Amino acid sequence: MKKEYLTFVQRLEDLVERKEIELTIRDLTPGQRKYDAKVVKAVLSGSPEGLPDGDILWVRSWIGILYPDPWGIKILGEVGEYLSGKPHGETLGVD
Amino acid sequence: MGFKDLREFIDALDKKGELVRIKEEVDWDLEAGAISRKAYELEGPAVLFEKVKDYPQGFRIFGGSLGTFRRVAIAMGLSPDVSVKEIYAEFERREASPIKPVIIETGPCKENKLLGDEVDLYVLPAPYIHDGDGGRYMGTWDVVISKDPETGWQNWGMYRFMIHNKRFLVGFPRYHSHLGMVLHKKYIPRKEPMPIAVVIGANPLDHMVATTPYGIGVNEAEFSGALAQEPVQLVKCETSDLLVPANAEIIIEGEILPDKVASEGPFGEYPGYRTEGIRMGILCQVKAITFRTSPILTMISLGVPPDDSSIAASLTAGIAIKRRLKKHNIPITDVYAPPEGVTHLIVVGVKRGGAEIARKIGEILTARRADINKIIVVDEDVDPFDFKGVIHALATKCHPIRGIIVEEVEAGKANPITPCYTAEERRAQRGGLAIFDATWPPEWKKETDVPVKSSFEVIYPQNLKEKVMRKWQEYGFKKEVK
Repeated sequence: MKKEYLTFVQRLEDLVERKEIELTIRDLTPGQRKYDAKVVKAVLSGSPEGLPDGDILWVRSWIGILYPDPWGIKILGEVGEYLSGKPHGETLGVD
Repeated sequence: MGFKDLREFIDALDKKGELVRIKEEVDWDLEAGAISRKAYELEGPAVLFEKVKDYPQGFRIFGGSLGTFRRVAIAMGLSPDVSVKEIYAEFERREASPIKPVIIETGPCKENKLLGDEVDLYVLPAPYIHDGDGGRYMGTWDVVISKDPETGWQNWGMYRFMIHNKRFLVGFPRYHSHLGMVLHKKYIPRKEPMPIAVVIGANPLDHMVATTPYGIGVNEAEFSGALAQEPVQLVKCETSDLLVPANAEIIIEGEILPDKVASEGPFGEYPGYRTEGIRMGILCQVKAITFRTSPILTMISLGVPPDDSSIAASLTAGIAIKRRLKKHNIPITDVYAPPEGVTHLIVVGVKRGGAEIARKIGEILTARRADINKIIVVDEDVDPFDFKGVIHALATKCHPIRGIIVEEVEAGKANPITPCYTAEERRAQRGGLAIFDATWPPEWKKETDVPVKSSFEVIYPQNLKEKVMRKWQEYGFKKEVK
């Protein structure tokens, strides 16, 4: 049984197929821990069929609109619980 | 006298027909949010979800604390039927006499403790509120307490925080918020974590004052005491010297990390839209969770007004703006921040109007940050609380060219969740301000230039008006007029 995850992207083009990338995903397994987040290293495919030994990745836009077709995701490992960076870095980084 | 705690307030709502207790199991995953949102939109009662899916009996969610002005009045011990203007006036009157909090040894919020490795945010039924939100929001109707390490000032604010994982929250206090300013000036330069406490389910007045933009160094607990007309009882946190309301349902103690982030949002916010996208939020490592037995997690299913946020902010922002404008000697009659304006639009009444005053009002209200982007200025013949009168003044007195003053708001100061801003503007927190001057130019002469208002009050002689009023019911009208 494939597991299902969720990620949010600023632009759909940020998701690259067949290349190792880091992203934050949320676990959609029903129960008390649904939506738990982790930062993972993974390979993606534009459809679950493209990664037969992978899981399902649902994608939402940066304002939360669900793209209708899920992607495939093969998790290679957990990178950690968080990312390095300065709070409000995005605001401070824009003039 | 105020309510001892949230539970007493909920009982009072129940007695006044302002509460629905849902005993049937409700899912924390969207269902509680949807029910609460519909109740807001019907201006219906507050909702207590008594059985939450996946959680033990007794772990409850409560939505709609102050979702109507009637419930604000109840929270303040007033009749539910008083007018909005009367609530504003009573708030202002009480606020003028702050009451210092008292510090006690322990309190109900310490009945259960999860410390260190025991910390697990999933023991609490945090709701997933809107379809498409970034995650489960633990803190929506919360009070976030932080401290200036140099002055010792403890600040209360209301900031959203969602669950990242079992031991991290991630939130979105803005850069120009008091918490944001202290974080950037006092903690990040020293590379030190900033202790915070996220308080959930306190007395509703504690939450209301947390939405108030009091100045730096001001102790919000004193104003909550002022509103309740008795001191707030505070108790020390387990892992820091922050002081939290002793009778609160849930306290989450943690530290904001100065050099770590995680993705936060998006979230359907108080303007009534899910506007700003996912971004790197402020990461809080949770050190302890303390909570009452059978805890009640307070929630706002934020959205189009009215809801707790738009109602509370109408009152607290409106009064804070009035205070600030008076301090700058603006000849104010009154200020109203209508809930429908979601603190994006306010109405300012002045004794003497004109472009110069209108411009000055704009400058004062955007000096630190510009949450407001539209200001309607009206003369003293218009009551800012009378929206029909305000629209009439806007339609007739605001010159379509000279009456509209447009200013740009520099990057970092604008409200990033203003729906009309572009994605780029939101990210840079850049925006604008439009002031609608619906006042007569002060240089217009009364005898020759100012049009005569054709209202009963203005256009008839005093003795005739008195006669008409006196004989009103004799003419055959059923209702007495004042």
